[in-house]
Amino acid sequence: MVRFKSRYLLCEISFASPNGWQHVEEKKLHRAILEAIQKAHGDFGVACCAVSFAVKYLNTYTGILLLRCRKAHYRLLWSTLAFIHQLGKKETCAITCIHVGGTIRTCQKFLIGYNRQQLLRKLPTCKSEAERTALQEAVRSCTLQELQEDVVSASEEDSN
Amino acid sequence: MSGAKGRKYEKKMKHQPTSVTFHTGDPGVSSSKNYNGAGAQQQERKYGGIQPQRDQPWTPSSSFKHYHEQSHYRDGQTSQGFPKYITATTFAQARAAEVKAMLKAVSNKNSNSQVFQALPKHMRRRAMSSNVKRIPRRLRAIAKRELEKASQQKKEQSKNKSRKARRRHGNLLLEFNRRQRKNLWLETHIWHAKRFHMVKKWGYCLGDKPTSKCYRACYRAMTKHCLLQDLSYYCCLELTGGENELLKALARLTNRETGLTFAAVGCLSGKKQGSLVLYKAEKYPLEPLGPVTFLWKPKKMSEDRQLWIWFHPALKQDLIPQLKTVCQCGEPVVQSIPLPEPSTVVSTVEEMPEPVSVGSKRKRKDGTPLEEITVKKFIREKTSPTLIPACWKSQTTGIVLRDLTLEILRYRLIGPLSHSVLSDALYPASLCKIFHSQHEKHCSWWPEYCNEDNLFLHERQQNLFQLLRGIASPAEISAGTVLGLVVDDPRLTLPRKRTKSMPNLSMLPDFEKVRQLTVEGITDETSASPIWDQAVRDDVTRSKISEQELNRMKMEILVPGSRLDLGAKESKIPILLIHQSGKLTGQECLGWGSGWDILIPKGWGMAFWISLIYRGARAGGLQEGLKHSQHKGTAHFPDDFPDCAAGMRFSGEQKKELLDKYKRRPPSKRPNYIKHGSVAPFLCPWQQLVEEWEMILKIEDERGVPEECRGALPAPESSGEQMSKGVKVKCADEEMKGSPGAADFSILRNRTVLKQISAWCLPTSGKGKRANCPASFSRQQIPSGAALLISAHNPRCLVWTRLSLLKKGSPTSHALICIPDPGDIQMLCADLTFCGPQEPKHKDHFKKKIKELKKKKLASSPGASCKVQGIGCSELPSKLISGLWPEPLPSITSHCTRVTIGFVLRGDFSLTAGCGEALGLVSVAGLLHMLSQQSSDRKGLVLVRNPASLQYRFARIMVEV
Repeated sequence: MVRFKSRYLLCEISFASPNGWQHVEEKKLHRAILEAIQKAHGDFGVACCAVSFAVKYLNTYTGILLLRCRKAHYRLLWSTLAFIHQLGKKETCAITCIHVGGTIRTCQKFLIGYNRQQLLRKLPTCKSEAERTALQEAVRSCTLQELQEDVVSASEEDSN
Repeated sequence: MSGAKGRKYEKKMKHQPTSVTFHTGDPGVSSSKNYNGAGAQQQERKYGGIQPQRDQPWTPSSSFKHYHEQSHYRDGQTSQGFPKYITATTFAQARAAEVKAMLKAVSNKNSNSQVFQALPKHMRRRAMSSNVKRIPRRLRAIAKRELEKASQQKKEQSKNKSRKARRRHGNLLLEFNRRQRKNLWLETHIWHAKRFHMVKKWGYCLGDKPTSKCYRACYRAMTKHCLLQDLSYYCCLELTGGENELLKALARLTNRETGLTFAAVGCLSGKKQGSLVLYKAEKYPLEPLGPVTFLWKPKKMSEDRQLWIWFHPALKQDLIPQLKTVCQCGEPVVQSIPLPEPSTVVSTVEEMPEPVSVGSKRKRKDGTPLEEITVKKFIREKTSPTLIPACWKSQTTGIVLRDLTLEILRYRLIGPLSHSVLSDALYPASLCKIFHSQHEKHCSWWPEYCNEDNLFLHERQQNLFQLLRGIASPAEISAGTVLGLVVDDPRLTLPRKRTKSMPNLSMLPDFEKVRQLTVEGITDETSASPIWDQAVRDDVTRSKISEQELNRMKMEILVPGSRLDLGAKESKIPILLIHQSGKLTGQECLGWGSGWDILIPKGWGMAFWISLIYRGARAGGLQEGLKHSQHKGTAHFPDDFPDCAAGMRFSGEQKKELLDKYKRRPPSKRPNYIKHGSVAPFLCPWQQLVEEWEMILKIEDERGVPEECRGALPAPESSGEQMSKGVKVKCADEEMKGSPGAADFSILRNRTVLKQISAWCLPTSGKGKRANCPASFSRQQIPSGAALLISAHNPRCLVWTRLSLLKKGSPTSHALICIPDPGDIQMLCADLTFCGPQEPKHKDHFKKKIKELKKKKLASSPGASCKVQGIGCSELPSKLISGLWPEPLPSITSHCTRVTIGFVLRGDFSLTAGCGEALGLVSVAGLLHMLSQQSSDRKGLVLVRNPASLQYRFARIMVEV
């Protein structure tokens, strides 16, 4: 297909203190990352990345971030992410890239698996019974009941 | 994003997860953290704001609420600070919700594509889109659902009837009826709709202007040939009653000062059509209703008199209640007229649409084709609003008021050759030879009508009609002449091709007789016509042979192309020809645009229309009518009557229209009227203008005017002195009340005063120009006392003036009319090429305000999302529109460097005069103030400035009576 091809970077942000989450916003993130690129790769880097650079998705509750960049220069962005230590002014943070995909869809699929995995990993480390039940509940609620068959068909379709 | 694009985008993003962040607006609440449950309440709120979709992908409402309940007891420190630890439950909840959202996004394929389109290339098969069995079995269910959906949509779109069925004659007529339920159609509607831009106005569908380019062609037709207009939408009211009672009742609506009334001798005999402006009962000079034309039925022995009042439909809602009160008419009489029972006809159509839709072959077999045809013809009757009663009767005075709207059609022919068109198209009815065929059904009225008196009359009318051919232009006949006539079916004498009728010079009648006719005019007997009789009209309408029948008979004729002789079946149509006067005032092109009006009984519209068109008449619409009145120099209703209720309504609508058009352009692509110093470019503030001039006059009064000057009155004014004093007192009373009503101003229509002002407007030493002004009025220097008196008596009066520009430029509507400075006139004297002074650019103080407002709006919307911005922009102009003055207008007269005295109503480059011409309204006080200060040889010079221009241009002002 003739189209502009992009890379989507699925990242996870972690803050040193929980206060850091308070001011995270798509716009601020966008600005912070561009500034970081400027620092790391200069004007050239900014110009390369800024063309279709966008924050496509941000979830502050799980710290998941989805970035879009042109396919040709995504490495510049990728390498920059490691150098981001602060968002805004005070809060120390780190961004780790967990997946690089060609479409949002693949990133979403990866994210589903990733989250499930994390939940399952947490399960044995539960300390109290209440926590355990809550976790189990959460794991069980991960599937959409009403969309069951669609999910199945879609997953099959993708496998083709 | 808007419209289809927005909808498509929304559909696409329906299942996509949206970003989830904390609320940052108010720090007090947001200090709580997500990892403990205290923020749950607030999270929910946030979700609602961010996600406009119906089903939230995250479904936090279920998962978080549950969590919130159980965790609330644990950390009660909601807003004190953040907990030091993370609970596994929150962690799990957040992940689970995200997984759920992602699952939904992933599982729903792109909604714009079909199932088989999502398959990889190697699995695609031929005919997959229509044949479900081609699709892999696991996807079949979804594909089937999709296919059904598509087929359903298709079905909804298609019409339930085929085109052929829809275009079948009967169905088509029913459809036409449905379409004219709201706005009535004229009989020539279909003809017009194919050739004109149609507008819906005053409850009718009217042709606005032709689709072809014909501005000049129509003008040429008006000056050299003939322009045809369908004026059937004009309303006609019939008043029947004793002559004295009628005159007594109607006198309350008129005033002798404005000119001839209903009782004018020439009109009362029925020889002429009169026109006048009506006022609300005994309210003169305030609250005018509007202009009407009227026609008396010629007098016979001891009959009740019959009067037709023709007026514009915009006037109807004001005039009819007034007439009812004046005539003391009570409740409506329900169907007192022996109509051809439109109701029953309608019922037949409604009950059985079957016979209407029968094909042509079966109809002929029926044996009674005529019946059905009349049914079809009257099908439009149904659409006429039955709620409004058509007839009112007065118990005390015996006057019967009847609404004849659309009962009689009116066509207007404008131009010097309109008579030759008429004489080619109409043939006076051949006499009824076979008297014994009276019992025959068709055309029953004609043989009965053919007694000796009437035959004699018919012959005279016929001779007169022939005589009229000898007249070069209709302007030679005295204005308003009425001629009755009975003519043959015009369809029988239709030429094969469209021809251009020219006067036949070889067949000119006797010159002596023609001269006699032009000098003496038409005698009153010849203006009688059976069209006045309701029964005859109905009979004529009913007995019309259908087009289809006529064509069949034409086909069966032995010699093709010869004239069809229908014998007794042929209908004779009574018509009335009414002369319309052309340009009466002014110096150049006197008599321009004169012509004839034809009144035809209903049902015959298309027959006459085609026959006139085939004689070379060019059809015009509303715009052409407007141009005609402009070139003619007359006021057009309702555009030029801002003091009437209908005129006010019109100007309100016009303002809305113009404002909408103005707002459609971005501020940089439209004139900034504030900078141009145009305070009111869309709606002339007459009320304010008049009030301001009243104030100016008062101030000057206080400064001291020699008292003795007031005594000096010109001769025509002295008679009305007593009355005018009374007016003055009344005015004072009104001022005491201090309540400016709906329309506290009026247009001056007092003929004596107008004549005086008109005489003053003319320059006294103008190189022999305009020598024929009425000698009885003093053309010398204006006695200042008289001028003061007139303006004092008419403090809130406007006067119609014509402006003709001296040099370049064409004025547009809402242009300002200003008083020139003495310096301007000196410049003009010194330099003949001097176009006029320029207005310095004004400053737009509102620009800043608008900018500030915009900024505030932006600042107040913290999310600054696209949607909020869009709303802000659209809300803004409700208060301030960039480039327009907001509502409390500044002083109009002194806003610009030159003092404003009035506004232009309509203006254009006049092809008749060869310069820009305009019709404007100026304040009487302002006009007299200006005239009294100007030197005698440069009298009547004003400045005109278009609202979107800074250039003033010189114009000569004329008051025409």
